[in-house]
Amino acid sequence: MSMNILLNIVNTILSNKGWVSIERLSGSMKLREDLNFDSLDLAELTVRIEAQFGIDIFEDGLVDTIGGILDKLCIHE
Amino acid sequence: MIRLVVYWINYAFMSKSLFYIDSIENRTKSYDDLLNDVNSTKSYNSYFRSNSYYSVFLNIIVSILLEKEIIILDNDFSEKEIEILIGFNDLETKQENLTIEEIDKLQVNSIEELLKKINNVDYNWKISLFTSGTTGLPKKVSHTFETITRFVKRSTAHLSDVWGFAYNPTHIAGIQVFFQALLNQNLIIRLFGLSQTLFFEQVEKFQVSHISATPTFFRLIYSDNLVLPSVKHITIGGEKLDKKIVEKLKLMMPDASFTNVYASTEAGSLFASKDDAFIIKEEFKNMVKVEKFELLINKCLLAQSDDLKLAGEWYHTGDIVEIMETEPLKIRFISRKNEMINVGGYKVNPAEVEDAIRSISGVSDVRVYAKPNSVLGNLICCEIVSVNDEVTEKRVRLYLTEVLQDFKIPRLIHFVDRLDLTRTGKVIRN
Repeated sequence: MSMNILLNIVNTILSNKGWVSIERLSGSMKLREDLNFDSLDLAELTVRIEAQFGIDIFEDGLVDTIGGILDKLCIHE
Repeated sequence: MIRLVVYWINYAFMSKSLFYIDSIENRTKSYDDLLNDVNSTKSYNSYFRSNSYYSVFLNIIVSILLEKEIIILDNDFSEKEIEILIGFNDLETKQENLTIEEIDKLQVNSIEELLKKINNVDYNWKISLFTSGTTGLPKKVSHTFETITRFVKRSTAHLSDVWGFAYNPTHIAGIQVFFQALLNQNLIIRLFGLSQTLFFEQVEKFQVSHISATPTFFRLIYSDNLVLPSVKHITIGGEKLDKKIVEKLKLMMPDASFTNVYASTEAGSLFASKDDAFIIKEEFKNMVKVEKFELLINKCLLAQSDDLKLAGEWYHTGDIVEIMETEPLKIRFISRKNEMINVGGYKVNPAEVEDAIRSISGVSDVRVYAKPNSVLGNLICCEIVSVNDEVTEKRVRLYLTEVLQDFKIPRLIHFVDRLDLTRTGKVIRN
């Protein structure tokens, strides 16, 4: 369920940029290289995740991968 | 038909002596009523706080006649805020019964005599207000009669003006409108706090000819299917001039001329213009300058205050301006310095983003604000009020991509029914 919410958040950001949505997330997916997120996208990602889960995933420094976010949220694939 | 004619004849006769009409407080006061209320005042409190607009007006007049300071506290200050601001919160303890000599000073026989006394006010009289910043502790500033009435025009040409009162009376602009109307013995109609429907009803019913308000006030009452021919002059101030609303107001009030005013609680009204550029008059030449895009005002133009920080003789207004010409100095207001939002090192002017969003068809109002963010320091967000379902998040983003740099585009867009405003009717930034 939480994985679906995260997928929706990522797709919202991609869609707002006019980019194509993705069908699934994997832990190894890199935010910058694979999803092509820039700093504004990452900032938006953290705000949207915080609104849903109440956790600021970048509070202690940037996270590189989807797996890193899942760890912060204590979600297991 | 006959009843209507009788009503208008009565109204035309009465309006010459009417002072104030308030549809919210359900109060109508003539200048004779005002005179009676002044004459029958038996006590006075320098620390004044009330939610009644008329009481604010009455007490300002009483303070002038008594030659005593009046410190006006906003009615929505909490007890705790009042204690921080003035050192105590039990205002009742400062209520004083007037002496016979003081009561004598309040005995005036006619409005003409009252206005004469007000115009000859003692130079020691002062009115103190608290600035209405959206953040931080309000600052106390004290104006003399001269600084608070700097832009008041007194002439026979203004005798039949009817003023729409569109500010909080504890706000400097509200007090300036009060003096403009009082000193010309005009009728004041309360418009602040009215619904759009009631606003139109009151302006039409009492043939309001002059309205002074913020751009936000005008955006909230604007309607594109109503016309108000009675309005002859509009004064806009308090926020960056919104050209779009000015164009709309010209359609809604086709017979009105308009003035853009630069004013602040700290300095009162300083500059006036027909558009968004202000030419600094010769008399202010050495009292105004621009440093690092910020407008600086010499302390000789300022109200008295212990809370204002000066750099030598200069007060940093926090207003970012563009110099359009140097001789004479011509400036244009860009934004408030402390309103600039820092997004990852890029400064975003929320007013610029708001202007862009407002130019989208179907958008009636917008608030751009910062949300603290661990990645970039701040993230730009906005709330939009739209008049139809055609304004979608996708359409807004698509349009903004064409007109704004990426970092200026709000990343979170919310659609709301109405915007929250500060107590002075300005948009809340934080």
